[in-house]
Amino acid sequence: MSGHEQTRWRAIGGAKMAWREWDGEFVVFNPRTGSTHLLSEFAGEMLLGLLASDEGITAESLAARQADSSAGTDDSERSIAIASALAEFARLDLVETVTL
Amino acid sequence: MRPHIADLMATLRSTPQSLLAFTPARWEATIHAARRANLLSRLAADLDDAGLLAQVPGAPRAHLDAALIVARAQREAVLREVALICAALAGVGIDVVLLKGAAYVLADLPVARGRVFSDVDILVPGETLAAVEAALMLHGWSTTHHDAYDQRYYRQWMHELPPLRHNVRSTVVDVHHAILPLTARVKPPSAKLLAAARPVEGDARVRVLCPVDMVLHSATHLFQNEELTQGLRDIADLDGLLRHFGPQAGFWDELPRRAAELGLARPLYYGLRFASRFMDTPVPADVLRVAASGRPPRLVRALMDVLYDRALRLDEEAAAGWLSPLARRMLYVRAHWLRMPPTLLARHLSVKAFRRQPDPA
Amino acid sequence: MIVADLTAAALTRTLAGPGLRLRTGPVVTRIQSSLPTVARGIALHYAEHPTVDEDVFADFHVRVGTPRNVRRWLRPQAHFFFDGWSPFTPLPLAQGFPMLEWGLNWCVSAHCHQYLIIHAAVVERNGRALVLPAPPGSGKSTLCAGLVSRGWRLLSDELTLIDFEFGNVVPLPRPVSLKNASIDAICGFAPDAIVGPPVHDTVKGSVAHMKPPATSVRRASEPASPRWIVLPRFEKGVADRLAPLSKARAFMQLADHAFNYSMHGSRGFELLAQLVEACGCFELAYGDLDASVRLLNGLADDR
Repeated sequence: MSGHEQTRWRAIGGAKMAWREWDGEFVVFNPRTGSTHLLSEFAGEMLLGLLASDEGITAESLAARQADSSAGTDDSERSIAIASALAEFARLDLVETVTL
Repeated sequence: MRPHIADLMATLRSTPQSLLAFTPARWEATIHAARRANLLSRLAADLDDAGLLAQVPGAPRAHLDAALIVARAQREAVLREVALICAALAGVGIDVVLLKGAAYVLADLPVARGRVFSDVDILVPGETLAAVEAALMLHGWSTTHHDAYDQRYYRQWMHELPPLRHNVRSTVVDVHHAILPLTARVKPPSAKLLAAARPVEGDARVRVLCPVDMVLHSATHLFQNEELTQGLRDIADLDGLLRHFGPQAGFWDELPRRAAELGLARPLYYGLRFASRFMDTPVPADVLRVAASGRPPRLVRALMDVLYDRALRLDEEAAAGWLSPLARRMLYVRAHWLRMPPTLLARHLSVKAFRRQPDPA
Repeated sequence: MIVADLTAAALTRTLAGPGLRLRTGPVVTRIQSSLPTVARGIALHYAEHPTVDEDVFADFHVRVGTPRNVRRWLRPQAHFFFDGWSPFTPLPLAQGFPMLEWGLNWCVSAHCHQYLIIHAAVVERNGRALVLPAPPGSGKSTLCAGLVSRGWRLLSDELTLIDFEFGNVVPLPRPVSLKNASIDAICGFAPDAIVGPPVHDTVKGSVAHMKPPATSVRRASEPASPRWIVLPRFEKGVADRLAPLSKARAFMQLADHAFNYSMHGSRGFELLAQLVEACGCFELAYGDLDASVRLLNGLADDR
């Protein structure tokens, strides 16, 4: 459990991912898996954060990034949402942890 | 008159420009013949490589473009499947040895260009079969051919597990433990094949058969395969492999030697003979001579030639001689005969004929 | 030259012999058949369609008939042959014409990957196309037939072809298939429409086809820019209503309804994104043909 907060995440093959956003909803194409996904605004913003950094980004930084757009939710709710989204992204082969 | 697709491909190789003189009627016959032989994307790839695709008239060109799109999509699907299979088998502690199409793709061989695929074939040591099957099922693959008879057919008599289909992706992996069935008259030892397997450049997870073994497997697959509808495509594969490996030092010396070592002299003989005949594959004369030691008695040989010739020629439904479907049937029986001793064969064929066929993979 | 230029006898002879070389939009098909129902079906539904000579490249060779071996004496059934082999299970001889139609759909959807192919009806007005993607039972064909009877140009009833270069809809005007209750509904809604005799007891129930208007066929070489995407859902008695659909959701629906989306990878993604970007996207609750046609006309009039 220790060091979990320091785990860095990034999108796998992010450079080749294609995405669009309309009215807060995102569609994403992952050429690695050939799958296309529909993401909510929250999940989509997270993915953008993951795409933006090659060195990877921690869950904490992701939370901070989205503090503005998810204002009104408390910190622990946001952390839970981020953690479960990351787990789902990993299951979909969209993200990986960065080994230092 | 419809061109024989192998003639076409030989023509293409020698004078690609000749295609530019094709009339619409000739294009029509060509596209249809290529599609029947499952070689449309291969034709498109050859034209593309020769820089001629842009000069094909629009209407036939659309079919060639479409075929290339399919080939590219399938290639990516194969790469994805191989990655997922490797991930699934990571804990089993074996090298994943790829066979046939998947091997050609991973090894980046010219013959992979424009190829269409159905399943991914892998070769594993016989003693790891249970562990491999378990690992794949853990990762979402399920067995097919649930009929008890078919299960026994595969496990007891054949050289592979019943095909495993993935629950979500519906892709199929064929797990082989030998390249010929357990009941075949010839038993090339898998351990030798696995020992000679080599890694592919840039990918530590998979291996492929060494060049001579790859060629021998292709020749064996062609002439002892139960389903002969792919005949021309398989000869095109063999031709592609021979042209690619031929120039490598020591290849032509090693090929007949290894064939003898593995007990595959006869398939090699047929493979070289038919490839050179149908595809004009350049085989050194002395190699053909040495390979001829694997040839069957003269009468059988003549009959086999006639049978294969007729089976491989595309018979258009309207123009078919009555012999062709018959010829295919005789070859089908022969392929079974080589794999299973005659007593088992009769039983298998009669059961197969009267049982309801399972859904195709 | 069009099919109607052939006498019934000449058409029968051509179909039974070298084959009728029929153009439907960008596709030329050589059709052979000795079945009288097929000849009659073609004469009626394809009367305005152009035929081409043997020196024009034919994309597909199909035959609807009995097998050319001893089996044909055992049980007379219609088979669909494509390049000499049979991709489908055989059907009763009476279903020869619907079988041809289903077979022609298969030819395009299985092979014409130079386009993005969406399982949708598509019609055009004032140069702008309305795409109606939908699974069977959604009512899309009835709506399509209804719209076409009220002045919309038929681009296609089943297969919407999008070209990669410009993102336009490429017309493929062919007979509109109608099932069961839709047959009477359309005959009532459009008494002047030409609908062939129903064929009963098919896997889809009773099936008939509406002949496409001559103008739709004559304008088959004019593509159209897509402007609206409407997902219809038929429910008897429901109040007809158009509701906006988010672009992202419309995108996913289109990807779901495309035959070959995944084959095209990121190119397919980009094309669908472009399509969705250019279109107003809606869901249509459809209970009454007249009311829904008016709603869709209104959409077109609103620009």
